[in-house]
Amino acid sequence: MQQSGLIGKTSVRDNIIISDNPRYPIFKELYIKQKKAIWFPEELNIQQDVLDYKALTPVEKEVFDMAVGYFSSSELLVGNVLVNGFFPLLIDPYAKMSFTTQMFVENIHSDFFESIMQSFAMDRDKLYRITQTDPLLYKKQDIIIREVDKLTYGKGDPYTVAGRKLILKSILLNNIVMEGIFFYSTFAHFFAMKDTGKMKNVVSGVELVLIDESLHLQNGIEAILILLDETPEIVQDEEFVQEIQTVIIDSASLEFEYLERMFGGKTIYGLTFRELKRYLQYITDRRMEELGFEPAFHVDENPLKFLQKEDFKKLTNFFEVSSTEYTNY
Amino acid sequence: MNRIVVKRDGAEEKFQTRKIVNAVFWLLEGLDVKDDYDLVYRIMKEVDLKVPERVTTEELDYLVLKAIEQLIPRNTIYDRLAARQLLKIITRKLDLRFKSFAEFIHFGVQEKILKKELLNFDLMVLEKAVDESRNDTLDYFGLSVLQDRYFCRDRNFELIEKPQWFFMRVAMGIADDETQAVKIYHKLSALEYLHSTPTLYNSGTTTSQYSSCYINVVEDDLLSIMDKVRETSLLAKYAGGVGTDVTRIRATGSRIHSLNAKSSGIIPFIKIFDSTVNAIQQGGRRRSSQVVYIQPWHVDIEAFLDLKETTGNAYLRTPSLNTALWMPDEMMRRIDKGEMLYFFDPAECSGLVEAHGEAFTKLYKEYIKQAEAGKLRLWKKMDGREFYKKYLFKLAKTGHPWLTFKDAHNRQNPCPAYSVINSSNLCTEISIPNSSQSTAVCTLASINLAKHVNAGKTDLDWEKLHDTIATAVKALDNIMDRNFYPSEESKKNTMDLRPMGLGVMGFAEALLDLGISYDSDRAVTLAGQIGEFMKNTAYSKSAQMAKERGAFPHYLEMQQQGKPYPYKPRRNAVLLAIAPTASISIIAGTTSTIDSYFSNIYARDTLSGKFIVVNKKLMAQLEAADQWSDEMYETIKTWNGSVQHIAELEGVIDRELYKSAYEIAPARQVDIAAAFQRSVDQAVSKSIYIDEDLRDKMEDIYLYAWNQGLKSTYYCFIDKTVKGEKYTTQVNKRGARRGFGSRSPVSAAAEPETGSVVETVAIENDVQALEAQARQQFGDAVVDKVLSGNMDSCPTDPLLAKICPSCE
Repeated sequence: MQQSGLIGKTSVRDNIIISDNPRYPIFKELYIKQKKAIWFPEELNIQQDVLDYKALTPVEKEVFDMAVGYFSSSELLVGNVLVNGFFPLLIDPYAKMSFTTQMFVENIHSDFFESIMQSFAMDRDKLYRITQTDPLLYKKQDIIIREVDKLTYGKGDPYTVAGRKLILKSILLNNIVMEGIFFYSTFAHFFAMKDTGKMKNVVSGVELVLIDESLHLQNGIEAILILLDETPEIVQDEEFVQEIQTVIIDSASLEFEYLERMFGGKTIYGLTFRELKRYLQYITDRRMEELGFEPAFHVDENPLKFLQKEDFKKLTNFFEVSSTEYTNY
Repeated sequence: MNRIVVKRDGAEEKFQTRKIVNAVFWLLEGLDVKDDYDLVYRIMKEVDLKVPERVTTEELDYLVLKAIEQLIPRNTIYDRLAARQLLKIITRKLDLRFKSFAEFIHFGVQEKILKKELLNFDLMVLEKAVDESRNDTLDYFGLSVLQDRYFCRDRNFELIEKPQWFFMRVAMGIADDETQAVKIYHKLSALEYLHSTPTLYNSGTTTSQYSSCYINVVEDDLLSIMDKVRETSLLAKYAGGVGTDVTRIRATGSRIHSLNAKSSGIIPFIKIFDSTVNAIQQGGRRRSSQVVYIQPWHVDIEAFLDLKETTGNAYLRTPSLNTALWMPDEMMRRIDKGEMLYFFDPAECSGLVEAHGEAFTKLYKEYIKQAEAGKLRLWKKMDGREFYKKYLFKLAKTGHPWLTFKDAHNRQNPCPAYSVINSSNLCTEISIPNSSQSTAVCTLASINLAKHVNAGKTDLDWEKLHDTIATAVKALDNIMDRNFYPSEESKKNTMDLRPMGLGVMGFAEALLDLGISYDSDRAVTLAGQIGEFMKNTAYSKSAQMAKERGAFPHYLEMQQQGKPYPYKPRRNAVLLAIAPTASISIIAGTTSTIDSYFSNIYARDTLSGKFIVVNKKLMAQLEAADQWSDEMYETIKTWNGSVQHIAELEGVIDRELYKSAYEIAPARQVDIAAAFQRSVDQAVSKSIYIDEDLRDKMEDIYLYAWNQGLKSTYYCFIDKTVKGEKYTTQVNKRGARRGFGSRSPVSAAAEPETGSVVETVAIENDVQALEAQARQQFGDAVVDKVLSGNMDSCPTDPLLAKICPSCE
């Protein structure tokens, strides 16, 4: 039996037919894009950076360690959210393919961050737990976990508006807030390292993570826009809409706090708190616009201009840096 | 916000925008700039965001540099300013340390960083020749790479060299006397030609290793394999690239008579090289690299094709190695005709290894007969096209193995009596006879064709080109006697053959100056002319040197044996090789090798970091036509660096001239390489750029390359389709859908916009008048906030800065 729609509850025997005229062609497209972007940590010679790592100054090292620590458990968290949270409620075949591919790619990312920690003999136990021990990182994960666990414990009924709101919020927190705001904030730290000639092979891997995350972000945006289209009642609830905006802005504020603590009063990898904050405002504005909100901060230009380097075709000196151009066939 | 600058002597002072403004104006000195106030203002706006609460003067210099660097794509002038700022950072410390060039040389020798022979030169003569005005020849990317990796450092890793000293030190390490040193210095510092990276690193230093490439041969014998591992490790240590022919190693399952056992095949042995080169590449300024070559009739070929895969059994993968095929014509012919290919064990069919041309074909057919008659123990066969497709799939997926042509290389072997050419090198441009007893070595230099266009831009300046070629040939020949050879085998090869490899870079830039499209017949014709001219000039110089210094020893030996080679005596067995010039074309600020512009705007990843490269000629032309703007930059960026689809440019520029690599027909790329190859006695390293849409045409493209007589191809770049979300360009993912859009916005913790760009304002000194003007322009709220000094950043707007208490 075939049930239509994005979410619902079906038997495992349902929806095992792929239509040649899919209801959501975008998920087919996103599935194909993600498939083409698949890569493996072994393609990068991370170990090459070991001398760089040893030469980092204490503050540089802290930024690097915190970033790796944050990603290492957060990538697993994204996986958990998908598996336990809203994934079981997806019923459209291509949407499921697109999100399972995302799940698979989160494994690659965990594997990648794990191999970084192994390569530089970093304190793995401490770093995996950093999101428990560091109060700000804890909050950054908790804001997501609190909401998603409502789904984990079976509270989201896909056939009620209330349940759909819960599901929407969970997608928002996972794919937009965590992957589209928190992750993007930390990406800038990594790219600044390469810009200052440090940790180049690790950052080559992060460039690949960025490609993946931008696709995951799009998975989330599409799912949310479709939910809104199919459940017009959600947008009618002014309070809920307000709440969603507040969640986004509160999350950004948490990140501002974190950035201030790490970068306040200093320049690390050529970055200052003020430009990072402005950058995050820029990113948050983009996310808000993507969901149909007005921008909150009105920052129209990415202040971290070196990031434009990520936007271009890339030519690598093969003998020098792991190339990320051969990974898509 | 109050910000503090900590000066070199530890004293603290308030951060003042005005001081930075003055410093930036100082950088502009002597430059013809239209809108200098606006340029400086844009830099200030960037700097302001970057300066934290406490900053040292040294950090401040660096932040100014980073601020300018970010603006490079916006106006041609920023590149010059960034280069000048970087130079300022480099020289400031250095000038306190050394009073003169001579002092630097003395220091270097005393510290055993430079060779003591440098003191034999009359340093006063050389010092006079050092021309600091040449610094403006270097662009920002080039200077960044130089200071990061090429300039000498003392034992504490502090820089002790600046650009002109560097060029002179390199010249001194090559020249016989002051006249030659000055001559070479002038050519190098004008970027008319450059030596290869190892020469630039090591010339004149106590590490006298000038060569880029070594090529050795492994015999089918455990001792030889381990001996070559040892040799490779030594060659790699000194940052040379090593090419290694492994064809002779017996196949999996082949019999080992001494043990009465079966061999584990080539892959585990290749793996030893992988581990070795990975261990060695940890040190030094550039990682060492190795490529293993195999002739594809080897029965282990399928496992070889998989070496660069990233999945599967890690014991059978070689992530640190490069791989290449040494393809015989007979196999290409069979692929072309769709006939069967046969694969053999070199232990059983050893004749195939060194046979080439007709002899190979005859032998190959003979082995096929034996195989089909059941007389061979180990062999297999596969449809030629199937094999070819499988190979090209691997090439597109992993970038390896590269395709090079055994017979094309060997047909032009100038010394067949010495040995066959067993393989090429890491960059596929070398073609020198070698053997397990004689490891080929090649020392390279490349002429920057962009610096050899005549003043009227109507033709190349052939006379100047002649002079540069002659200078470079003599310099390269000198190097052979000063070079350090890490192994006896490598010394022997150079002493017997004295091979060198002179190539080119900046071909595409020269074409642009001459108004010739890369994708045109005229470009192919010019390529042929340049090649021929280089060959004639280099050969006549080498013949002249043979008269003065003697012909290469193997030539004389054959003459003595009564079996002379059928050509006039010359100093060097081979002279020309077109290398990829990956790093030195960056230093020279030009297009690499004979390639087209990669793109009009792109990012380049190097060991020194990531840089944005803009086609400066395009930018300058558009600026002159008043068409370069932030919007135009964004438009080109949206098109991934292509200008072919930008309608506004119609009639403004000849867009045909600005095609990027993927927009040039692959056949044209091959034609240009083939035109050079006709005169180049070694090989042309040619990467091929293939648009995603043409992926299905790969079979034809590589067959065409073979038919056109290329000796080598190199990387195959296929335009990538999946990219990350653009970071600095806004993309509408929502389309016409409204999402949450039907609701009204809430006001977030919106902050005042500091630094909105305004037109240049008249500067008056009367503070009250300024304040009034500011109130009118920005409103009372903003001005009061500025006056209270209570903002989280100083205003970057020049008018507001005037009235800001922290700034003044």
